[in-house]
Amino acid sequence: MRRRSRSSRWAVGLFAGLTGLVAAHAACAETVLRARLASDIVSTEPGGKRDANTDDVLAHVVEGLVAYRENGEIAPMLAKGWTVSPDGRTYTFALRTGVVFHNGQPMTAADVVWSIRRYLQPATRWRCAAEFGPQGIARVLSVTAPDPQTVVLTLDRPAPLLLKTLARPDCGQTGILHPDSVGPGGAWRGPIGTGPFKVGAWKRNQYVDLIRFPGYQALPGPRDGDTGGKHALVDRVRFMIIPDSSAARAALLRGSLDVIDSLSPTELGGVQGDKRVRLQFAPTADMWLMMLQTRDPLLADPRLRRAIALSLDTAALTRAVTWGTSRPDSSPVPAISPYFTPLHAQLRKPDLAQARRLAAAAGYRGQPIRITTNRRYPQMFDAAVLIQAMARRAGIRFQIDTVDWAGEVQRYSAGDYQALVFSYSVRLDPAMDFALLIGDKSRDPRKVWDSPRAAALLQKAVVSDDRAVRQAAFDDLQRAFLDEAPAVMLFNATRISAVRANVSGFKEWPAEQQRLWDVGFCGRAAC
Amino acid sequence: MLSYIARRVLLALPTLMLVALAVFFLIRLIPGDPAVVMLGEGADKAAVAALHRELGLDRPLPAQFLTWIAHVLRGDLGQSISTGEPVAGLILQRFRLTAMVVLAAVSLATLIAIAAGMVAAWRRDTSIDLAVVGASTLVLAIPSFWLALVLLLVFGLKLGWLPFVGYVPFAEDAVQAALFLVLPILTLTITESGVLTRMMRSSAIEVMRLEYVTHARAKGLSETTVLRRHVFPNAFAPTLTLVGLTLGHLLGGIAVIETVFTLPGLGRLMVESILARDYPVVQGCLLFTACVYIAVNLVVDLCYPLFDPRVAAA
Repeated sequence: MRRRSRSSRWAVGLFAGLTGLVAAHAACAETVLRARLASDIVSTEPGGKRDANTDDVLAHVVEGLVAYRENGEIAPMLAKGWTVSPDGRTYTFALRTGVVFHNGQPMTAADVVWSIRRYLQPATRWRCAAEFGPQGIARVLSVTAPDPQTVVLTLDRPAPLLLKTLARPDCGQTGILHPDSVGPGGAWRGPIGTGPFKVGAWKRNQYVDLIRFPGYQALPGPRDGDTGGKHALVDRVRFMIIPDSSAARAALLRGSLDVIDSLSPTELGGVQGDKRVRLQFAPTADMWLMMLQTRDPLLADPRLRRAIALSLDTAALTRAVTWGTSRPDSSPVPAISPYFTPLHAQLRKPDLAQARRLAAAAGYRGQPIRITTNRRYPQMFDAAVLIQAMARRAGIRFQIDTVDWAGEVQRYSAGDYQALVFSYSVRLDPAMDFALLIGDKSRDPRKVWDSPRAAALLQKAVVSDDRAVRQAAFDDLQRAFLDEAPAVMLFNATRISAVRANVSGFKEWPAEQQRLWDVGFCGRAAC
Repeated sequence: MLSYIARRVLLALPTLMLVALAVFFLIRLIPGDPAVVMLGEGADKAAVAALHRELGLDRPLPAQFLTWIAHVLRGDLGQSISTGEPVAGLILQRFRLTAMVVLAAVSLATLIAIAAGMVAAWRRDTSIDLAVVGASTLVLAIPSFWLALVLLLVFGLKLGWLPFVGYVPFAEDAVQAALFLVLPILTLTITESGVLTRMMRSSAIEVMRLEYVTHARAKGLSETTVLRRHVFPNAFAPTLTLVGLTLGHLLGGIAVIETVFTLPGLGRLMVESILARDYPVVQGCLLFTACVYIAVNLVVDLCYPLFDPRVAAA
């Protein structure tokens, strides 16, 4: 009896010890969230050498004065607020207090001034430098810091799009950096930002690690686009470079990966209905379109361009190309925009008889039209094939010319195409969407719509921040766009993401940007 | 022997020069501007022009070529346009992994081919022969990416025995690294064993028809001895040539397998560099691949006399 009681005590002690060890291990175990990137990031320099993946990763590391909210409006981020002078040329930003950089230094107005001046230097090759040049929204005359918590930005003319431009993800959100981010000669060292994560190891073509920044000062309130309360709920985020989408899907199902942002629609079948995975579908503000070269001798006639547009059933094309996940759109104003009124929602219906009449009136005699596409984005190739098939019904002949992505970008940049299937990444203001299209082709050959009428309408939308004035401008632009048909809008894509069932807090948003702050793992309770 | 090696190396120099010329100019014929790829589709024209200047892409092509070749002759393959890393270091780093996978897979495939090919030839027109020929034909017909995905789904996903994404280098965790390499090596072994087996079998059948084999049997030697001592060395020589060609070809990169299994090898580096128009890396990779090809074939040629003494005599 005595021996039994002693052995019981041993057993209880052993159990308690093991439980303690397990609990201690659980308490000490690092939490790692693993997300997929289809290709490696280009650099760690915000808004410099970049692509969409680079923007996504660095959005966790750096923050700008202002940022986009979920609904596309602008809200403060590192700025507490701002005022605009009556002439619209001077912006005064009051900075938040208590914000510290990843190196522990407090953020001051001097750092903001240094960062903005650095972005504006040609040597930085900032993606958005041209926006602040002669052809851009305005030129920056000065950036000053009258006191440690105030920054004053003076422009040469009013620029209502200033804040929306500064907050653009592809501009690196004009992230505020500590001067130690660069070396003595101005060479890039690495981002010392203020975001909830800092850059850890970067093994090229394998993974990029982001480490939780314990000193992060979160804004109050919930997460809202790129602003709002941001919280690092895991110790480390690992972006794993997995080029093959089937391998990524298998890794998610196996549990070797926690998040696939931007799942290809073709991979949907493999995960739909699987209890280990949750899916999210979020409409985005990107633009998929077919551009038509208005300077091409054949396509210079707007009647032929309209005929092409009328030969296409964009609803059917969108269903086929996106596997029924996205919505067709005939307007450059994205469907999620507050400016997307019933006028923009009107889908151009196919009308083969009218298409034939217009083509004949334009003198079209079945000459082949070369349509450039690529296989890097399967939707672009599929769209070209369907455009070819649909236009043939109206007697319009397309010849598909498949090149690789770099080749297509070069043709786009040089305007060297007759027709080209393309997509623009997200712009969260319709004026920015139209600005991508409208412009003088002799100065900038990549512009699609070279029309003084359109340029004047765009100018109205750019210089005004009055909602009604802007709406009227966008409505007039849409009518002109349908009439002149410099391009045929196809659809706004829906972003599909797949996350493991034990991942909590993941939410897509229209900016097509992977956000892993406020994302963690569920406890024992169900997610 | 040394003079033979020296002669071969000297003969390789014009080949390498031709490769360098072709690589340099052909990559530039492909449409696509590295500066535009780097800066993105909406990049400012002035920024693109500045990057051209910085990368030396605004200079005439012959001048660019001469500068590059002068650096190459000094052992400097330049720097990656995309990442700024030295190309030589990048290639060597990636080649280590590719070489590991390829050498292991080709060695295994050769062993399988020797065993299966010899047995099939020895038991010609029996069910064993039929099975070997059928299996090797099937393996030849299967695309490597499909086989890779099937193995990944079966052993990685369904059975969960092996990891398949997130490669860990040997320096970090040798066991994990080895486990990661099992599926790529298995895929490559299976795909390469088909053609080697067929070659081994047909060579062995031809040798078995020769009179000296009949003579060996007539002397009363056992079948094992006849096969091992008289058939195998002569039958293996053509297979060895094929092994050399396969090695040279695969060491240049196994892009498909590296992509499916997310291995940071030479093939993926080359594909990504072509897509990014990273000229120095593409040029460096192709020149390196040509050197490897020449070196592997030289080694194979030097190994020939081990199996066929007539070559040494010649």
